[in-house]
Amino acid sequence: MNRKILIAFLFVAIPTLGADSQWVLQQSTLTYHVSHPLHQTDGVSHTAKGKGVCHAGECDFLIAVPVKSFDSGDSNRDLHMLQVTRGAEFPIVTVRTRLPESAAASATINADLEIQFAGQTAQYKQVPFKLETQGDETHITGTIPATLSDFKIDPPSLLTMPVKNDIPVRVDMIWRQQ
Amino acid sequence: MLSNLWRRCVSGLLVVSLFGMLAPALIAQMAAKSALTGRVTDASGSAVANATVTATSVETGQTRSATTGPDGTYKLDVAPGNYRVKLEATGFKRVEIPAVTVSGAEIAVLDEKLEGEEQSAVRPKPAQQEDLPNAPSSSSTAPSLSDLGLSPEQTRGNPQEQALLDKRTRMLKIHQRMGLITTIPLIATVVTSLNAGGKSEGTASRDLHVALGALTGDLYAITAYYAIRAPRIPGTKKRGPIKFHEAMAWVHGPGMILTPILGAMAFSQKNNGEKVHGIAQAHGPVAIVTAGAFGAALLSVSVKF
Repeated sequence: MNRKILIAFLFVAIPTLGADSQWVLQQSTLTYHVSHPLHQTDGVSHTAKGKGVCHAGECDFLIAVPVKSFDSGDSNRDLHMLQVTRGAEFPIVTVRTRLPESAAASATINADLEIQFAGQTAQYKQVPFKLETQGDETHITGTIPATLSDFKIDPPSLLTMPVKNDIPVRVDMIWRQQ
Repeated sequence: MLSNLWRRCVSGLLVVSLFGMLAPALIAQMAAKSALTGRVTDASGSAVANATVTATSVETGQTRSATTGPDGTYKLDVAPGNYRVKLEATGFKRVEIPAVTVSGAEIAVLDEKLEGEEQSAVRPKPAQQEDLPNAPSSSSTAPSLSDLGLSPEQTRGNPQEQALLDKRTRMLKIHQRMGLITTIPLIATVVTSLNAGGKSEGTASRDLHVALGALTGDLYAITAYYAIRAPRIPGTKKRGPIKFHEAMAWVHGPGMILTPILGAMAFSQKNNGEKVHGIAQAHGPVAIVTAGAFGAALLSVSVKF
């Protein structure tokens, strides 16, 4: 009898444990910040696409955003940024991470990120993000401590003065579980 | 005495004007002093002599070829830009590298190993978006770019557009530097104008004012050349301070033509012992408006308001 119950449980439980669930990026605001002695500039993109696929308790996330979609309010500056970041040659920035499925219930997470940008790949370890979950939607905010040198980008200059190496990227995303 | 000074002034103007005409070409030549160099070896690391290295400009389609020497090295004098590079040698696979960037006034190094056999091989571009390396999160279930609804067209790089952007930036950098340099004689011209139009009989301050004005005009012409000739990027809508910067060009551009013409008339009248009269009286006000518009254009892209 016990054996039958165990087999029945396994039949029910194994597919449940291994079941794939997905996360889809609903809304996003990604903002890079550039510091120059004469300027403080923010470039904003709302066009990121993202998906997370969960399997066996782990979720693989991929977020992709076109380099061209960042808008700093100045087309000249955006074209210059596009040039220095080789945005025409490498048009998509991708961010990959793996998180435990249980992380969705946490208030904060530390994610290991792999970012491909400007033809280079950079790893960021334990980047903290805040999570707020309401229903099936999770609001994630945080800042990726990116630098130009991480991606071998020569700092663009204005009036012969280069911008700072730090280009922190603020992340504000809403994900929905499906 | 006066005619001697006038002759000296005119010859000075001619020299400065000639410099102005030749400078863009000279600067362009200086900017174009770059090369692609490297060493071709076989799988064991031994030099491959007589290999043909061909670089084809992505922008212009122009090709340059060189043959490797006994030590396997080659050097191609090429203009800055993006190139497709092909390496061929008897008994080795042909290698094509789709994108090699040569930056301004730099020597790009491209060392290559050739493999045996006669088939050709195309090496993929580094870190091509469709061929992402394994991320820490990669697994059989990890989503791909196509899962996000991104088509290959959206993720594929465009070397031609990148080359256009590179050229645009190179030219605008020179535009920016020349604009900054131009402000120095521009300010000096404005300052020396205080004495140039005075009642004194001496002409030295007036000559200095004319020389500085001519230098300003020539440097301005070079500055304008690099802005006008910088390639436009299709599909770009102008936003932000650049609109004001360009609008100001419609003021200081004509002003930079008109100011020296009016100045020459005023100069002539002064040297004839006459009081500046007629349209020549507008030289000062036009110059001030021109300098003001130039300064405003410079500030509009330099300081955030």
